[in-house]
Amino acid sequence: MAKSNGENGPRAPAAGESLSGTRESLAQGPDAATTDELSSLGSDSEANGFVERRIDKFGFIVGSQGAEGALEEVPLEVLRQRESKWLDMLNNWDKWMAKKHKKIRLRCQKGIPPSLRGRAWQYLSGGKVKLQQNPGKFDELDMSPGDPKWLDVIERDLHRQFPFHEMFVSRGGHGQQDLFRVLKAYTLYRPEEGYCQAQAPIAAVLLMHMPAEQAFWCLVQICEKYLPGYYSEKLEAIQLDGEILFSLLQKVSPVAHKHLSRQKIDPLLYMTEWFMCAFSRTLPWSSVLRVWDMFFCEGVKIIFRVGLVLLKHALGSPEKVKACQGQYETIERLRSLSPKIMQEAFLVQEVVELPVTERQIEREHLIQLRRWQETRGELQCRSPPRLHGAKAILDAEPGPRPTLQPSPSIRLPPDAPLPGSKAKSKPSKQAQKEQKQTKATGQPEKPPAPDQAMVEAAAGDAYPPQHVPPKDSAPQASAAQDSAPQASAPQDSAPQDSAPQASAHHRSQESLTSQESEDTYL
Amino acid sequence: MGNGKEEDYNFVFKVVLIGESGVGKTNLLSRFTRNEFSHDSRTTIGVEFSTRTVMLGTAAVKAQIWDTAGLERYRAITSAYYRGAVGALLVFDLTKHHTYAVVERWLKELYDHAEATIVVMLVGNKSDLSQAREVPTEEARMFAENNGLLFLETSALDSTNVELAFETVLKEIFEKVSKQRQNSTRTNAITLGSAQGGQEPGSGEKRACCISL
Repeated sequence: MAKSNGENGPRAPAAGESLSGTRESLAQGPDAATTDELSSLGSDSEANGFVERRIDKFGFIVGSQGAEGALEEVPLEVLRQRESKWLDMLNNWDKWMAKKHKKIRLRCQKGIPPSLRGRAWQYLSGGKVKLQQNPGKFDELDMSPGDPKWLDVIERDLHRQFPFHEMFVSRGGHGQQDLFRVLKAYTLYRPEEGYCQAQAPIAAVLLMHMPAEQAFWCLVQICEKYLPGYYSEKLEAIQLDGEILFSLLQKVSPVAHKHLSRQKIDPLLYMTEWFMCAFSRTLPWSSVLRVWDMFFCEGVKIIFRVGLVLLKHALGSPEKVKACQGQYETIERLRSLSPKIMQEAFLVQEVVELPVTERQIEREHLIQLRRWQETRGELQCRSPPRLHGAKAILDAEPGPRPTLQPSPSIRLPPDAPLPGSKAKSKPSKQAQKEQKQTKATGQPEKPPAPDQAMVEAAAGDAYPPQHVPPKDSAPQASAAQDSAPQASAPQDSAPQDSAPQASAHHRSQESLTSQESEDTYL
Repeated sequence: MGNGKEEDYNFVFKVVLIGESGVGKTNLLSRFTRNEFSHDSRTTIGVEFSTRTVMLGTAAVKAQIWDTAGLERYRAITSAYYRGAVGALLVFDLTKHHTYAVVERWLKELYDHAEATIVVMLVGNKSDLSQAREVPTEEARMFAENNGLLFLETSALDSTNVELAFETVLKEIFEKVSKQRQNSTRTNAITLGSAQGGQEPGSGEKRACCISL
């Protein structure tokens, strides 16, 4: 598996198709290949040879989209504390989501520790649940032949996503292969949707943090729960959101709104890539990750807020507007945003503080929908209503289901009872109604009740004995000051108080850690 | 060469690149405006554009070249893209016949959204891959002639005919504009039909004519 949030320093790419002319291999080691991973960089600007290519901590070739200098480095002890907190949350996810969701939200706003980001995204998005509900499904899709029409387009896109990221730089390398597998699987999973090009960068970001199967299910969640209709035929959802964004801008920045109005600049001319790629092609990478952390927790309102913040700071004052006299100059300004406004700390602060709510978005959505119906008739592709974040998604999950298990997916024996073989792709009508009526993220109507039989089967299942390294020698080489994680544990009761199945998976911190490292995509 | 000085131009012509996904629109753009080419240029999502100022006779013409996603799905959101365009390069990949076979569909799309007087050039790109050719030059040339389109084969990779393609289109537009100006009594911004161009020059700068034909 390709690595994502690896340590600093280069990593040898997987051996892929070898093209002629070897230049530089990244590192020596078992994986070191004579593959010319640079061969895909056939552009003129790279023609005069890389003698040395440095990779930043996100995996980007230095100078491309990655981090520019160590700006907001979290102090190591804080990072370790956050990791402990997150481990505890992930370990007791359902409880936290039911009772302490605000805390989860706060921690997402602070940024998920890189070592746990991939896992957290799976939990937040419900991808983890989806995976558990559909064991073997991805493999089935993976092994099926795809529709040649889609495969053709997908193949053309594989080398065009983050080509300066080590994971995707090799033509035919594992990164591109996994990207192909995930995108192909989606076209088979939802043949009526097929493939939309903006799904590729989304899938690529996911793959940087988790293996293909997990990435697939997170992609499913994004396409169906967070941003339904974004990638469908007709692209109606994105058009509506463009209108919503513009409408919300009026209150957020009247100056920017007026200017864009006067210049007759259709929102699609600037927000399409922003929204469809969830800013992964727009912002510096550290900001992308922070936005995605919040997005997975709170839903599309984060995307709207980021867009509004960027518009406000790019065009929100008379001086700024003066420099953008024409349509072209304005759009150009929005395409080359000042690094200051995209910088992680600044952007996150602005986003968190911007008082734009789900309710406002939904209200505006109805207004724009009505307008659409008046001027353009009915929508051709009715998408299900979107769910505003992790809590909404969880609450919409139909039926009882087993409590999330924090370890590598346990494969149940084939005769074990499952709560429901196929995950329903739409939330139940009841849940949908609740969504519309709830002000903010409301209280859950029915907290998921664990299926006892299922859990017992799981508990009885050979819980693979793990080699348990002492905590201190865990890969992170934590600092001595690593304060007892129990101190930062949630105030509520010890895990033993919860349902009996807790004992099945809440083991000692040590064993969790080792399983973390198995499950964590590192 | 890159962009000319922002202030020194007499005209701004908006030219759009259209055609199937993967035919090379983005690289034609980067080759013309920045003299760059990349095998791994990102999939275009949304709208990209770039400018370059060229001299046509004594007039400085700023070409605003717009580029967008070619995938079928994106057709739904491109009407804003066409607005105000006075020229178009309809690009196909001459090593992939299916990208040529759909040219008529693209033409229809173009005429549905843009002014009827728009200058169109049919461009067969990737001429460097001569061994993989799937569209005979003569066939494409005939089609262009029969439909009132200009025609060239280009290679964004090795630069063949890229300059020529854009300059030919710009010249053609310029000639149309000049004729208009002769016929018209107004001396400044000429617009025919729906005035969506809206590219007003800055107050301190040399005035440019914002043209919609």
